[in-house]
Amino acid sequence: MIHTWAWIGWLISALVALSITRNPLYLFLILLCIALVGWTQERRLSSESSQTQNLLPFSPFKFVLVIITLSALFNAVISHFGETVLFSLPEWLPFLGGPITLEALAFGAINGLVLGGIFAAFTVLNLALPVRSLVRLIPRAYYPVAVITSIAITFIPNATRQFHHIREAQAIRGHRVRGLRGWLPLIMPLLVGGLERALGLAEAMTARGFASSEGGNQTSQTRLGMVLGLLMLFGGWLLRLIEGGQLLGIGLMILGITLIAAMLWSIGRSVPRTNYNQEIWRFRDFLVLIGSMGVISAFLLPIPWIDQSILHYNPYPILNLPGFDPLIGAATMGLLIPIFIIKPK
Amino acid sequence: MISFQNVSFSYPDSERPAIQNINLEVAPGTLALVIGESGSGKSTLLRCVNGLVPHFSGGSLQGNVRVNGLDPVQATPKVMSRHVGFIFQDPEAQFVVDRVEDEIAFALENFALPAEEIRMRVAEVLDLLSLKALRYRRLETLSGGERQRVAMATALVMRPEVLVLDEPTSQLDPKSAHDVLETLVRLNRTLDLTVLLAEHRIERVLPFADQLIALNVEGNGGISGPPRQVFTQTDITPPVVTLGKELGWQPLPMTVEEGRKFIPDIESRTPKSETIPTPVSHKGEPFLQIHDLEVRYGNQIILDRVNLDLLQGEILVLMGPNGAGKTTLLRTIVGLLQPAKGKVIAGGVDISNKRMDEICRAVGYLPQDPNALLFADSALEELMITLRNHAGKMDAAGEQEADRTARALLERLELINQADDYPRDLSVGQRQRVALGAITVTKPKTLLLDEPTRGLDYGAKQSLAQLLRGWRDEGMAILLVTHDVELAAEVADRAAILKQGKISSCGDPSRVMRSSVRFTPQIARLFPYTDWLTVQDALIGIRQIFS
Repeated sequence: MIHTWAWIGWLISALVALSITRNPLYLFLILLCIALVGWTQERRLSSESSQTQNLLPFSPFKFVLVIITLSALFNAVISHFGETVLFSLPEWLPFLGGPITLEALAFGAINGLVLGGIFAAFTVLNLALPVRSLVRLIPRAYYPVAVITSIAITFIPNATRQFHHIREAQAIRGHRVRGLRGWLPLIMPLLVGGLERALGLAEAMTARGFASSEGGNQTSQTRLGMVLGLLMLFGGWLLRLIEGGQLLGIGLMILGITLIAAMLWSIGRSVPRTNYNQEIWRFRDFLVLIGSMGVISAFLLPIPWIDQSILHYNPYPILNLPGFDPLIGAATMGLLIPIFIIKPK
Repeated sequence: MISFQNVSFSYPDSERPAIQNINLEVAPGTLALVIGESGSGKSTLLRCVNGLVPHFSGGSLQGNVRVNGLDPVQATPKVMSRHVGFIFQDPEAQFVVDRVEDEIAFALENFALPAEEIRMRVAEVLDLLSLKALRYRRLETLSGGERQRVAMATALVMRPEVLVLDEPTSQLDPKSAHDVLETLVRLNRTLDLTVLLAEHRIERVLPFADQLIALNVEGNGGISGPPRQVFTQTDITPPVVTLGKELGWQPLPMTVEEGRKFIPDIESRTPKSETIPTPVSHKGEPFLQIHDLEVRYGNQIILDRVNLDLLQGEILVLMGPNGAGKTTLLRTIVGLLQPAKGKVIAGGVDISNKRMDEICRAVGYLPQDPNALLFADSALEELMITLRNHAGKMDAAGEQEADRTARALLERLELINQADDYPRDLSVGQRQRVALGAITVTKPKTLLLDEPTRGLDYGAKQSLAQLLRGWRDEGMAILLVTHDVELAAEVADRAAILKQGKISSCGDPSRVMRSSVRFTPQIARLFPYTDWLTVQDALIGIRQIFS
């Protein structure tokens, strides 16, 4: 197991890289790294289980492909810029009419790559970390929120599987979706079944001694502290926008965050709850974090021998080949470090 | 340990009480089995023990309940959760997180026990239930039996004095059910744990039960006492007890082993090679033919060159352990899965590459969860929708004809009085029959059923068996997948066992069902030298011998 915080570091580095670059070569590379880590993780989980069911209720690979395709098509019919015209739609079509260009298609596909990459990174995290590890990141002051989050995370894949069962069951009685009403046989059993399952779970949790009223005791002081902290955070952000107020703004924001953290800690102390399974930080977690820091540094920090202008790419007005700096490419490989730690059993 | 004095309970807006005038005492360390038809109040009685009734359900409770000296109504479920572990029918529905260890520790973390104690208790319970190897596994990757043992661990980790289980084996194959019950009995004997358990498949639990609590739908107090005594006053009895009652055996045998003491005289007079009675043959031409069917999930072979024929006018029962590929076989036949190799022929036509709606006109398929089918406002409308799905738009005459067809089928399903009822308000057995109606209203020539007896009581199972026999006699070819060996014994013309994706045996039910002890019904175990499978077979056979 890799430490939760090491995985969070990995996720942040992937998200930072995805949000900074529009260069399709780097985007492909990031997506490939994420896919390889995900594939290794899925193989490990499959090797643990004798069951044949899929660990995810749908294929993330297909989903990413759909995102990229839809994004490319959507941009192509909405944006008519670019010099390489593939064909034209009639001008009388509102919004859609006009030339369909290769550049607009490419721009849409690049956006799709970013969205697909973000989705893939979260999917990998979901595969890698137990729900409990993620929920432990929520401040103890909001323990009921944490439990609800944990249920929601496990509930969604269950609901998706249930939807597949319903779709199959309706198909075998000759049902085909035609129009909005055609969704009724699929949605109704899902909603009613979901409510029944939710009631069942609520009953089971009551039987196990869980009571939702056990949130932290928020006194008037802690409430006031939270509001003050939020005000400071917002005020600091506003100050930063004013000429000369940047330093004061950052100071105020730090103060706000500190106050909020202190209030959360104070409320959390009144929540009777134990985290029995404390994770141990190991050398391998350090390696994952170093790899992630390397990715963030290469994409974000002004390093003299790295040409970060290459990260920016615009297919307009005419499609051109994106550049590639091998140093950034090598740094991106830092995302692959979990592969060498996750071993199939 | 548990005491009920004049306890009655009514759910909110309910006209009649769910339980009425219940009086019973369960001593510490007892394993008590609660039996009764659907709607007799078994679940309600169990929920009174930890205060879920009335705290969670609402409604009004009269009388006194005491559990280890505590009043669950006053103590609330939160306090009772430290004394009473509760395990539900579907373990999946009670899990909060996604990993075995986290799930077991959840309640303890919730009670803010010191981390060291939680660690110790988790280790202890993992050891007790032989779950060490599954400690870090995701719950979704566990088998049904493993999940049920994890559910037990989540309850036992609280070190309760009482363990309450609501039909814990209803979703398990015979082996997994046996493992779960064995664990339960071990806990009962070694920890002196009081166990209160509701179950429809009585024969599974009876050998271990010290006390029997029989409830009835009329809700007139129920009967509680030693199993032998209670069985003289109730009709809900497993086959060996039914036979004992019919033949006047005293003391009434509770298990096959006890029943064997009464049969040396019968055994000595039974010719070993004689077949008693002669099975009625309904067999016709093969309607469904499965040739060399191979199905894979990725690299894993789920069905390995399966060959099977289903004849017109027969019920073929397919059994096998969980994960053997039974459901996969049914899903492949109706086109929900594509085979890697092989073909399926229905009525002489290769349906392997046909559209699903075309296949389903000839082959009806009832999946495990009937709730996935039901969405209309009434039982009648459910059947009408299937007819409209297949016929497209119907004119007024077509609608009238469809209405007649649907009502005729509801009559046959004994649901005509519920034609206008909302299907999800019906009992489990009735819901199952509405779903069956929605599938068979197009009059398919073949019917595939996947575990249709889950959660059904004895009466509902009998009416299902009767319905299937009726359709079989009219020429329908029925493939029934079930773990319920007693139902299989009742209806099977042929039986087959699927193991690890291969048909390991297929043919005469009395031979096939004796080939594996897990799939042998009680009567077959009682009379191993005959081919009798049911109480009826045994009674006819014995009368023939003694006449």
